[in-house]
Amino acid sequence: MHISEGVLSGPVLASGAILALAGTGLGLKHIDYDRIVHVAILAAAFFVASLIHVNIGPASVHLILNGIVGLLLGLAAIPAILTALLLQAILFQYGGITTLGVNVVVMAVPAVLAHYLFLPLIGKSSTLTFLAGFLAGFFSILFSSILLALALWFTDQNFFETSLVIITAYIPVMIIEGIVTGFCVAFLLKVYPEIIPKRKKCK
Amino acid sequence: MQIKKTLIIVFVVVIPALIFINQAFAHKVIIFAWVEDGMIYTESSFGSKRKAKGCAITVVDEKGMVIHNGLTDQEGNYSFKIPENVDSDLVLELEAGVGHKAQWRIPKQELDSKPSEQDVSSAMKEKEKLEKEPSVLIIITGIAIIFLLALGVRIFKRKTS
Repeated sequence: MHISEGVLSGPVLASGAILALAGTGLGLKHIDYDRIVHVAILAAAFFVASLIHVNIGPASVHLILNGIVGLLLGLAAIPAILTALLLQAILFQYGGITTLGVNVVVMAVPAVLAHYLFLPLIGKSSTLTFLAGFLAGFFSILFSSILLALALWFTDQNFFETSLVIITAYIPVMIIEGIVTGFCVAFLLKVYPEIIPKRKKCK
Repeated sequence: MQIKKTLIIVFVVVIPALIFINQAFAHKVIIFAWVEDGMIYTESSFGSKRKAKGCAITVVDEKGMVIHNGLTDQEGNYSFKIPENVDSDLVLELEAGVGHKAQWRIPKQELDSKPSEQDVSSAMKEKEKLEKEPSVLIIITGIAIIFLLALGVRIFKRKTS
């Protein structure tokens, strides 16, 4: 999902950078002093997730984990994802520095949306907690695919065809991320409920 | 108590990731090219293990004019004869799926002359550098930077509040 250097046009890169910068400012403002360590843990998880590849038939996909980062951090996910993506670009040469802004928007906006859409389900029951995690993981990748297609569309590519190719390619990732996020959220609620905003005990 | 729990989570989330890393394929897209006996040979991959199969290679000159097109084979390789009447460096662009792109530049002088042993050696070093997987040390460095930045934000917030 990391867009490489040289793919997008200047205006798209500039718009991505401005949006990412604004989002990071907003996110930093919203970081709760007591939850900074949670931001660091989830940023670290996001940072290493791209290195974990799962082979599905002839294809190989890697985890992204923007769903769980967004679900648990809300707006604070934007600086967390920015930091992880910046380090991935510098240390692993994934994506690139010029595409950093767009990559942040592509991965962080769906993550923040997942927070507002699915967080209320967590803690209501074991099933709903898993479902909230699954939906956050699944829809974060789906929305990210659509944003990725939009970024490519603004750079002179056919939106419908591009979207179809990207969404089809990422369907296995959506399912895997959904399951991983579902289990992670259920596990965290049991062993480390403080990491979940609006903590509620599972009955 | 919270520190203990944080450590548990770090061990549960991050350590297994580090164990799996040796089995992982890198996500970066690489194209490597060299000139030999009037031909240009290319190798394309995602990191060092997964070959970029059936991916488009476009050869352009310095002005951006397309000189040649081709597709990589099942091993991620593609070769072609050096185009005639070329008077500039050649840039080989690899398109490996949506949003994934890499390029390799062949200087003009390399097209005309036979590469020296030094050229071959430096090119191979460059290739190894490109294909190198992130080491555990680099990954731990990245995680340490994240936690240091978090500490910085925490100190800054404490001072301002």
